[in-house]
Amino acid sequence: MAIYESVFIVDSLVAPNEIEAILQRLSSIITDHNGTVRKIDKWGKRRLAYEIEKKQYGYYIALEFEVDASTNLPKQLEYEFNFNDKVMRFLTYRYDKNKLRAMAKEQKETEEVTSETSSVKETENKPVAPAESAAEEKTSAEQDSPNEQTEENV
Amino acid sequence: MLRMRRKRVCQFCQTNEDHIDFKEERKLVRFLTEQGKIIPRHTSGTCAKHQRQLATAIKRARHLAIIPYVTDFTR
Ligand SMILES: [Zn+2]
Repeated sequence: MAIYESVFIVDSLVAPNEIEAILQRLSSIITDHNGTVRKIDKWGKRRLAYEIEKKQYGYYIALEFEVDASTNLPKQLEYEFNFNDKVMRFLTYRYDKNKLRAMAKEQKETEEVTSETSSVKETENKPVAPAESAAEEKTSAEQDSPNEQTEENV
Repeated sequence: MLRMRRKRVCQFCQTNEDHIDFKEERKLVRFLTEQGKIIPRHTSGTCAKHQRQLATAIKRARHLAIIPYVTDFTR
């Protein structure tokens, strides 16, 4: 089994029920190939970095699914995306080993957190962001000081 | 620029990241020039392994209009 993700952009003016219809169709194609939809992530309306079909905005949707790698499901989805003129852009890719490793690590972390009490979870989650930014500052400071030293030595 | 040349450390190796996500626009932008070109490895200090991953991520992000292909300054 392989995990894929399709990210696609539909016209931001498309009605919500039409988006649901598109997702229904895609889901049925996936299940027809004995695949399973793992996650539907609607990023929502975003500004495009460049105009596509004279449009400045698009509605982004990410669809994560699992299917046997021997099927031609990605090809089938491509036909579907090309056929539907509400879809402005699409990208289907298979999760590589790095992504899978990152996912496994993430899952392990959430499992560890949920096994602990909720009060611990709250206190644990908060300091994460400041600690990271502090570490970043530290490295930039470290980068500065050796340079100054070498300049003095020369 | 000179400083970056002297101490070349891969930013992804430092943070111990095993995956570069093309959805993280703000992270990718740090590795693009003002025109939107990918900054070469010898300037950014990124290691070969991560530069390959980064290039893939940037190309995917460009395709999905998350980051621009080119930023034109001609007025
Ligand atoms: Zn690296």
